[in-house]
Amino acid sequence: MLRITLTLLVVAVTLVLAFGPLVQAQQPAAPPPWKQGQPASMADSMLAPIAQPPAPKAAGDIPVDKIKVPGGFKVSLWAHGINNAREMTWGEKGTLFVSSRTAGNVYAILDKGDSREVKVIAKGLNLPNGIAFKNGTLYIAEVSRITKMADIEDKLDNPPAMEVVYETLPKDLPHGWKHLAFGPDGKLYFNIGAPCNICMPPDTHANLSRVNPDGTGFEYVAHGVRNSVGFDWHPVTKRLYFTTHGRDWLGDDLPSDRFDVVTQKGQHFGFPFCHQGDILDPEFGKGKSCNDYVKPLLKTGPHVAGNGVEFYTGSMFPGDYKNRAFLAQRGSWNRSKKSGFRVMTVTLDSKGSVAKYEPFAEGWLQGEEIWGRPVYTRQMPDGSLLIADDYAGAIYRVSYQR
Amino acid sequence: MVAAAAPARAADLEAGRRKSEPCKACHGADGNASIPGTPSIAGQPVYFTHWQLIKFRDGRRKDPQMTPFAVNLSDTDLADLAAFYAEQRPTARPAVTEPAKVDAGRELAKQHHCVSCHRPGLVGHEQIPRLAGQDLAYLVKLLRGFKAQTAGDLDGTMTTAAQPLSEADIENLAHYMASLPPVPPR
Repeated sequence: MLRITLTLLVVAVTLVLAFGPLVQAQQPAAPPPWKQGQPASMADSMLAPIAQPPAPKAAGDIPVDKIKVPGGFKVSLWAHGINNAREMTWGEKGTLFVSSRTAGNVYAILDKGDSREVKVIAKGLNLPNGIAFKNGTLYIAEVSRITKMADIEDKLDNPPAMEVVYETLPKDLPHGWKHLAFGPDGKLYFNIGAPCNICMPPDTHANLSRVNPDGTGFEYVAHGVRNSVGFDWHPVTKRLYFTTHGRDWLGDDLPSDRFDVVTQKGQHFGFPFCHQGDILDPEFGKGKSCNDYVKPLLKTGPHVAGNGVEFYTGSMFPGDYKNRAFLAQRGSWNRSKKSGFRVMTVTLDSKGSVAKYEPFAEGWLQGEEIWGRPVYTRQMPDGSLLIADDYAGAIYRVSYQR
Repeated sequence: MVAAAAPARAADLEAGRRKSEPCKACHGADGNASIPGTPSIAGQPVYFTHWQLIKFRDGRRKDPQMTPFAVNLSDTDLADLAAFYAEQRPTARPAVTEPAKVDAGRELAKQHHCVSCHRPGLVGHEQIPRLAGQDLAYLVKLLRGFKAQTAGDLDGTMTTAAQPLSEADIENLAHYMASLPPVPPR
């Protein structure tokens, strides 16, 4: 009798496992990823992601003088006409490589003194946001693969075929685009975002990961990270610091985006259970405690969309900028009054706590109108700072005159 | 494959009209097509047409008719063409819709949240196309393409949205969309 009961139980469980997904498929279809998690009370909201313009702005339509920086700093338009300009990384021979996301291009920019020459070295790629450079080779991260082009700086007019480094990454497009960077350990680091605004992500998603440059040794570095598309290593402690975009549709002021540090491999930063270190998710937080997850090092503000992270190591800026982190915040869409659209700096004290969090460059947002979106920074060899704007398709240079 | 990025400038409507000459055979003189399976592009949001042309040129969206035309277009051509078509007045396609399918499609459109992106009336905005009054056969073809994950999505939203659709759903949705008045986006 017991055996029969057990058998029936096994059959029942098997049936549930086998037919569970079918039952699910008959439920109402999921809304588009950006709309998921929207409560009924916000059903009439007209808030929607800001459309990426299909073409860069003409130089004359880029009001650089509206960008405000601290006294002594100066902003100039360094390059324009770069559709959807995102990440920037330097080659060893002075080429600035620039990625894009929806434009699908990778660019090479040559500094010709008074002007810049822009070449398209790859196009038609699948959200190729991540680029990194080492030993003459450019690495490119698309949604589900990392590829490379060897000796690229000698072949800008005839780029070699993209050689696959790693191609078994998830194919989900929502939050599928990647930041890519070499860590101090020589490994390639990138994010695998949650494939949604809010959901229970598969075990393979919502993390920071790394792989050796030859494609071996894949491993997870951090979990519970909704989507981080910006990270860097502290110049002294070599610890990994990263920004994360918080979930949408919890209102104008919740949750805050965050700036975090990984102190131990495998730490969990809370998604989807706990947001900003102290708010349980209305759906996925049931029965959970925020104390079980790493708290943010810094709450950077609601919906600011923190992208680029870069620690300053140059000598052009005043001494107290050394080892400060520049955070490029692309700006909100899921907020009735816009936030972000600026570059901030974070000053850490000797214990690694946040001593100061202050604006560095602002002005892309005028009232509620935007004309640009700062998305990543990159230090120049002379210590000045480049800021990429994916909305205007431009790169600005911030310099300091002593 | 290597090209210098063209200097950005404001789009030129008159240049767009001239450059649209080769497009007329399929899309009509003013972007209102009459060939079943060919979309009307009159009055589509300027971002939408511009992004589609970029995707055809770069091979992210493929079509035996469109691809050969798109591959040789310059950045300026894309901007001028998109601006020209956005200014044209959309007209209704011949009525071929079946009321029962339209009704079923209306319900499906609600269930599948079409208005979230395409806006009430499915009139589109920015990079999102107007579906209202579009050609029936084209809508069916494209929805099948998204379902098969071959339609070249800008950001994955449509490919994801099309996965739960059955062949009958696609048919009904297309009938509903084709039945709506082709009001240009505000």
